[in-house]
Amino acid sequence: MISVYYFGAITLILIGLYAVLVKKNLLKILIGLSIMETGVNLLLVSVGYVAGKSAPILSEGIGPAQAVDPIPQALVLTAIVIGVATTAMALSVAIILHEKYGTLNVEEIRRLRG
Amino acid sequence: MINELLIILFAPLVAGVIAWALDIRGIREAIGIIGAAVPLAMLAKLYSQVLDGAINHSITISGFTLQFQLNSMSWYFAAVASLVGLAMAFGMAVTSRESYEWLFALMSFTGVLGVFLSQDFVGFFLFWELMTFASFMMVLKRNRHESLKYFVLSVIGAYAMLIAIGMLYAKTGALDFASIRQALYLDAAMGTITTRETAIIFALFLTAFGVKAGAFPLHVWAPGAYSETDQSYTAFFSGALSKAGAYGFLLLYVLMGYKLYAAFGTFHDHLVFAYIIAWIGALTVIIASFLAVLQEDIRKLFAYSSVGQVGYILLAFGLGTSLGFAGGLFHVLSHAVFKGLFWLVTAAIILQTGKTQFKDMGGLAEKMPFTFAMGLIAVLSLAGIPPMAGFASKWLIYEAAIQAHMPLVAGAIFLGSALAFAYVVRFLYAVWFGQRPSDLEDVKEAPLPLLIGMAILAIPNIVFGIAPGIVTDYLNKMLGGEVVGGDYYKLVTPTGTYNALLVTVVLVLGLAIAGLIYIYGARTRRIPVTNTYQSGNPVTEEFNLSIRRNFYRPLAEALGFWLRYSFDRFYERLAGIAEDFADSLRQAFYNGNVQSYSWYLAIVLLILALWGVL
Repeated sequence: MISVYYFGAITLILIGLYAVLVKKNLLKILIGLSIMETGVNLLLVSVGYVAGKSAPILSEGIGPAQAVDPIPQALVLTAIVIGVATTAMALSVAIILHEKYGTLNVEEIRRLRG
Repeated sequence: MINELLIILFAPLVAGVIAWALDIRGIREAIGIIGAAVPLAMLAKLYSQVLDGAINHSITISGFTLQFQLNSMSWYFAAVASLVGLAMAFGMAVTSRESYEWLFALMSFTGVLGVFLSQDFVGFFLFWELMTFASFMMVLKRNRHESLKYFVLSVIGAYAMLIAIGMLYAKTGALDFASIRQALYLDAAMGTITTRETAIIFALFLTAFGVKAGAFPLHVWAPGAYSETDQSYTAFFSGALSKAGAYGFLLLYVLMGYKLYAAFGTFHDHLVFAYIIAWIGALTVIIASFLAVLQEDIRKLFAYSSVGQVGYILLAFGLGTSLGFAGGLFHVLSHAVFKGLFWLVTAAIILQTGKTQFKDMGGLAEKMPFTFAMGLIAVLSLAGIPPMAGFASKWLIYEAAIQAHMPLVAGAIFLGSALAFAYVVRFLYAVWFGQRPSDLEDVKEAPLPLLIGMAILAIPNIVFGIAPGIVTDYLNKMLGGEVVGGDYYKLVTPTGTYNALLVTVVLVLGLAIAGLIYIYGARTRRIPVTNTYQSGNPVTEEFNLSIRRNFYRPLAEALGFWLRYSFDRFYERLAGIAEDFADSLRQAFYNGNVQSYSWYLAIVLLILALWGVL
């Protein structure tokens, strides 16, 4: 029985992938990328989850044995930052493309290249 | 003290490097000629020593032991190559304009000698590649397209050889000739190497050596490469370098002959593998000779002719009898001397007139008498007119073919000889006789070094023609037995006798009588060139068949059906198809659409994921 967290995260990735592969509008593709990224982050966090354990902060009554896996959380923190940075850059590229070509349709843009 | 074999091997290369580095006109020519003369002098010095026993030398370079041996067979090949190499150096002294050419011409000289002297596949392959590389650089200088063709075919040959060497190494664990030979000999009885593996090794070696020898259908590089380089160098290229391929075929017999016999057996009393070689040779002879007849360019004509003549050598080796080997080895020598001479004559003509087409030539015999005499010797030798080396060697090949009971192969040689006569006659008449075009009025005799180079090659043509016994005597020692009987002037085989001295005397007498009749009896009349061929019909411009222009066009029309097929065009088309295919593949996949790339990524990830699941 597949965990609902995994299922949800992978569904999000697939929705994002669908948008990237099929949508023609550049902004929609970028939205798809963001959704995919969210899905990946969720998947990573859910990998580290151990049923019944608490947050991995050492405090009263909570030792290393009672905490969930902290490594995916650190990874995801990094990934979120990277994701935001890439999205910001991609968006600025989108603005430039729109200024240059007057359209955001990827096929149109491809036809105009060169 | 430095070993003699190393001096023989590396003297040309060292001279070439020095000539290239100094690059002072006059000095580089002198150094080049000296460097090219050293191997011949050393070989002459070692002659008697070689007959007593092989001279060995080995050097170890980074774990590989390179073995060199001067035995009776490698001495013969090396001596032939050195003779042509020396003539080439004299020719190049006037025809080459850059030190670049000296470097690579002499480098290929070293490569050829290394191929002949190597006794293991490491050295053999290294020198083989050195020779290919240097000759490629020579062609590259003049013509990019032709050099590329040569390069691609050579690379195919080199890889074929490398794979074959690898297979032999995997099976026998040895790289030196002696061990491989012994291992294969033993294996013929045990049969641990299967027939299929033997067939693959054989086919790979055939490809490798066939490319270099210009055997059909791998000959397509030769006409272009021979004509698009310094013609003095071509004397060496076609005279000596192509013999490396012929030597390779001989090596096949030495190394794997018994194993090949055990694997394939015989067919109508002939060794099957030798039969294949014989037919490759026969096809090469016929096709190249037909193509040579149809050429309108001197260089192209001799290039095809050269391919055809190497076909004779392969054919003779393919007969598989000791007489066949004697004939083939003799033809190695005579082809080297007459074809080298031809190319030097061509070099002189091109140097003095600046023209290469038959239609621009004529009447040069009066202007360049010495070159004409040399050209005549070469023509007589190639066409196989008795008192020349070319006759003796071809005669031996005929005898061998008849004795081996291969009538179709013998027929191929006869046809090839008739065609050879047809094209050399054209060269003889179109270039030297007849009316002289007005722009050739102030042509002068070729410069002295070129004439010396020609003389170096013309003398063996005559000497070994009148006294073929000198060569066959040596060949008997090499092949270990009385293969060709007779004395210096007489050759005796089981089916025939050829007395060169008698023929020479008769011929000289006949010529003297004819000369007397010509001087005292005949009345000469000057006629236009076209008269002879049109039988009195008016000459129309589109069907003007003089000996200088489209002389064999009727033959070309008769052969029209066959001429539509050309391996040259076939390879070009193959290359074109490969290029188009790669191009369309590139355009289909690399289409500039971001989403397509995303799809590729998604598909690859999916496949990887499924692979993990499965």
